Amino acid sequence: MHKVIVSVLGPDRPGIIATVSKILFELGSNIENVSQTILQEEFSGIFIATLAPEVTIDQIEKYLTDSLKPMGLRVFVKHLERKATDFQMPPSESFVITTMGPDRKGLVAGITAILARYGVNVTNLQAVFKGGEKPDDNVMIYEVDIPNDIDHQRFRGDLRQKAQELDLDLTLQHKRIFEEINRL
Amino acid sequence: MLSQSEIISVLQMLKNENLDVRTVTLGINLFDCVSQQLDNFKANIHNKIKSLASNLVNMCDQVGEKYGIPVVNKRIAVSPIAAVGAPFDASQLVAVAHTLDTVAKEVNVDFIGGFSALVEKGVARGDQALIESIPHALAETERVCASVNVASTAAGINMDAVLMMGQTIKQAAELTGADDGIACAKLCVFANIPQDIPFMAGAYLGIGEPDAVINIGVSGPGVVKKAIDRAIKTEDGIDLRRVSEIIKRTAYKVTRVGELIGREVADNLNIRFGVADLSLAPTPNVGDSVGEIFQSLGLTSIGVPGSTAALALLNNAVKKGGAFASSHVGGLSGAFIPVSEDLNISDSAQNGFLSIEKLEALTSVCSVGLDMVAIPGNTSVDTLAAIIADEMAIGVINKKTTATRLIPVPGKKAGEMAYFGGLLGRATIMPVINATGANQFVRLGGLIPAPIQSLTN
Repeated sequence: MHKVIVSVLGPDRPGIIATVSKILFELGSNIENVSQTILQEEFSGIFIATLAPEVTIDQIEKYLTDSLKPMGLRVFVKHLERKATDFQMPPSESFVITTMGPDRKGLVAGITAILARYGVNVTNLQAVFKGGEKPDDNVMIYEVDIPNDIDHQRFRGDLRQKAQELDLDLTLQHKRIFEEINRL
Repeated sequence: MLSQSEIISVLQMLKNENLDVRTVTLGINLFDCVSQQLDNFKANIHNKIKSLASNLVNMCDQVGEKYGIPVVNKRIAVSPIAAVGAPFDASQLVAVAHTLDTVAKEVNVDFIGGFSALVEKGVARGDQALIESIPHALAETERVCASVNVASTAAGINMDAVLMMGQTIKQAAELTGADDGIACAKLCVFANIPQDIPFMAGAYLGIGEPDAVINIGVSGPGVVKKAIDRAIKTEDGIDLRRVSEIIKRTAYKVTRVGELIGREVADNLNIRFGVADLSLAPTPNVGDSVGEIFQSLGLTSIGVPGSTAALALLNNAVKKGGAFASSHVGGLSGAFIPVSEDLNISDSAQNGFLSIEKLEALTSVCSVGLDMVAIPGNTSVDTLAAIIADEMAIGVINKKTTATRLIPVPGKKAGEMAYFGGLLGRATIMPVINATGANQFVRLGGLIPAPIQSLTN
């Protein structure tokens, strides 16, 4: 048994998940995790599956491509394995960063550059740009893991300074506050 | 993963609706500080408060920053000074008040409460000295708050103490006449005072409480008002059942915030968490007002007919939502209607919608009482005591807390403005019936017996 990760990208339409899962099922593989999202009209899906030993990556990629290419979708398949050299996230806590402000180029790049400098990992990013100058119409929500051992004051300072340069109203709050308020 | 609406709704409460934690109050027991020697006693209380509270403000700010929710006030409540300082006379207790004020400034808290006496059934030697010391203690200090419990459902009303408080308030106002009687803004007279109030001026640490405890006061009138406004705008056929439901849900949210932050502050300071006080506490800022909620509910202004019913609905819904959100609730827990501290309520009084008599009626269904009510400076001691007695009776008979924080503003008449500054706000002086007259009833003295606990009509 070996694990693969399959990614599918292209215009959204009914039947994409059905096609992928049918092929994986017919090859005797078991889907362990699926995540899919639709941005505007584009579908993106990631599947992690366990394959039978006799099934190769090339085989699975060929079957999937044959079925999905006519639908305008691209497929990428690779082995899933952790190597000792892979990045290991140090002990950290989950925070939520939000920014509001006029839509312009370089907002995400500006903020994430600071995050990367401090080893802060983005675990989920939602950006809603309706355009224009109204701040409430242009909101970015970063869910991030912040390592416990960084200089939090300096990190906050750098983040706020960048936000100011980008004309953004930024908040940084521990994730628990959102869970406590909204969930039982 | 959090949903977008979960995150945006919290941001909205923070940015537009004044969501915050109104107070984190550290209760400190001072019974192990007692001494017959004034200097020793002062040194002991100074050292104990300083050792426990030195990191309070810093920790509140740190936790507040972590969650993005400000802790507006950081305060200390101590054991009743009338009990721990019982050997001392009034002038010595004024010196103790100075020590409390000094240490409050050193640890940078806004207020320190507990310059208090519990005299519902009788006035002990220490209580007598403390009550006598209150006018000078409050006039000469900045951050010390005093409270005196003169009545309870179990004991009845101590009318001798009520009269003493009329005299005390009058004297405290006169000593701070240049500042519109500001000393009286730091003095509450109570019936059924809870032992764990985090809010001032009534905070003290009860005798049944631990050595040190963190109690918190949530806020949220702005959040409640906006939630009601949104629902009325967007929901067809909304009725008061639904309004009550919305208030409950909102109270749940603001209480969760308060409890999360209070518990973390308590854990980090290695002090036990006590209670969340589920009170809607206004400030003199637009959008942070209990009075505005009445208008959102469709009343012209707080004080017009319908106000008592609206307040009953509000208070009850806040308690239900808050009680579900927190494992330990206490303190006053209900809506506050402090006249000067709430711009909208102050304006209602100025516009003639709200009288002291209607305020008294409102206090039968909310948590506090005649709070931050400015009255004419020439109001007699008898009439002050009589107003207090009426308010105490409401608390005693209805088995609830009531209080008065009355300010007879020296040299000013009904209709004039009194200015207290900062969070204490400003208020139109309300007319009082029989303001300057004598009142033989309160002069009869003695105890009004405790009420019967059956035949509840």
